[in-house]
Amino acid sequence: MVAASLPPDITAPAPPVPYIETQQAAGVSADLLSTDLTQNRIEVSSSFQGAKVILYGAVFQPEDQPSDVVVIIRGPQASMRLIRKVKAGAVWLNSRPVVFEGAPGYYMAASSQPLDRITDFSHRRLLGLGLEYIAMDTSRENKVVTRYGVKDVVVNGIEDDYLDWRRAVIRLKSKAGLYNDNPLGVRFVDKNLFRAEVTLPSEAPIGDYTAEVWLFRDGQPVGYSEKKLTVEKVGFERFVYTVAHRHAWLYGLACVFMSMGMGALASRLFRRG
Amino acid sequence: MEIYLPIAEMSVNVWLMAGLGVIVGFLSGLFGVGGGFLMAPVLVALGIPPSIAVASQAGHVLATSTSSVLSYGREASVDYRMGGVMAGGGIAGAIAGVELFRLLRLLGQADLMVAILYLLLLGTIGGMMLNESLRALLRARDGLPAERPKVKRPGWLYALPYKMRFPVSGLYISVIPPIAIGFVVGLLAALMGVGGGFLIVPAMIYLLRMKASAVVGTSLFQIVITTLVTMILQAVRNHTVDAVLAFILLIGGVIGGQLGIRAATRFRAEQMRVVLAIIILMAGLQMGFTLFVPPEDPFILAPTNG
Repeated sequence: MVAASLPPDITAPAPPVPYIETQQAAGVSADLLSTDLTQNRIEVSSSFQGAKVILYGAVFQPEDQPSDVVVIIRGPQASMRLIRKVKAGAVWLNSRPVVFEGAPGYYMAASSQPLDRITDFSHRRLLGLGLEYIAMDTSRENKVVTRYGVKDVVVNGIEDDYLDWRRAVIRLKSKAGLYNDNPLGVRFVDKNLFRAEVTLPSEAPIGDYTAEVWLFRDGQPVGYSEKKLTVEKVGFERFVYTVAHRHAWLYGLACVFMSMGMGALASRLFRRG
Repeated sequence: MEIYLPIAEMSVNVWLMAGLGVIVGFLSGLFGVGGGFLMAPVLVALGIPPSIAVASQAGHVLATSTSSVLSYGREASVDYRMGGVMAGGGIAGAIAGVELFRLLRLLGQADLMVAILYLLLLGTIGGMMLNESLRALLRARDGLPAERPKVKRPGWLYALPYKMRFPVSGLYISVIPPIAIGFVVGLLAALMGVGGGFLIVPAMIYLLRMKASAVVGTSLFQIVITTLVTMILQAVRNHTVDAVLAFILLIGGVIGGQLGIRAATRFRAEQMRVVLAIIILMAGLQMGFTLFVPPEDPFILAPTNG
């Protein structure tokens, strides 16, 4: 009752950036890369059908060393609830939902060549490069484990096919166009100039996005650059959303008034005509 | 022409949605039903999240019912007292239904429950209607007189306390059965996103034995009240009413509805009942079918908001 009237923010909190420490530790420089987006604010109006943003950048390299670029776009984090269809007799029923936390609402990994050829497993995992290494956890399930002990059969069952669940999240999100790996998504248009296309479907979540750009040389991250991207509702869309969440009673009444009014109007118009 | 829905957070084709409104509205006007049971499955099939489909199409049900109740009201065939009593139960049912829907969504069982309800209710009612109307058609073909409905009312209806006079319906009965019927319909209205006409009308005819002339107008009046409450509650509790989607659907709906009412005069009542029975049966089976078909992907993402 009270919870429902609390206004959620239109923009989700920005994802944390744990990469700063890794940059320092690995001796990553911010001076080797210069990047920008063609747009850093995407307006979602009533004609919004998705958007395409181009990230372009330049690599400054004193010597002619071969290097690779990886671009990671992460959307606002949102917890996800996943259900598994379970067969019971002749019918298919739903399982208890499993909650995944910390996964981005949008994710794109574009690189100048397949990620496994750019760097090794530990770097990919540490930096979250590629769909397989997206950080997400089922901390709510883990809580159940500590509370009831490891012997709990149900929880062990989920733990056992955790990978199935995780793969399902990625598969479903990919199908919706919200997650994708594009091993050839970064193209060098000139010797040191590259570009990558970011395609956001109309279902892309509203909120703050980050574009991380990594420069790799001999499998080691040497350069890093980060840009922000905001997707927000504007105008009428923003107005409707805000009213629906902040003045829910008023919004409900307005919808009812609109519906009944249109019904009454139609009945009157058609009677005369 | 595509338009972005602010609450559903996706874009849809305006003409597709308005066209859906026209078709469902036409059928509503033609058969005198709300049409919610037809619209929800189609919206879900078009990719609208079920919770938003159910809550937003209430606008369509409300608009078509308001428009019809006004036409019936002019002919003085609405029993406002009976409708009011039923709506009392309906409001309580709607409140319970919205809370139950919320709980089911949290448990990830909402879509399953909706499919089961569709299969059971629409399957049963469609089957019964089809059986009855086919028999009526056959009797008419053989030149036999139509079966007389039993006029004897169930005795227990008279044994219950709190009796009230309903002059327009020609009844002097306890208020408990109408309130109970209203409650069940309100509950289902919130869970399935339907007006519930397909339940109230048979209940009024066979259970309460209301005067036939008052049945349709009164059921529409009760649907207006219950749907109104459901829509406000969905907006307040679940934030699932998409005003833009509701508007597109109801514009198509009221136009289609009026066309349907005009077309209705061209057909015979018995034939229309057969067609309606088949449509109801198909809608129920189509939704229920999903329970038995192995899913394409065993995993589904459940909505998180709310």
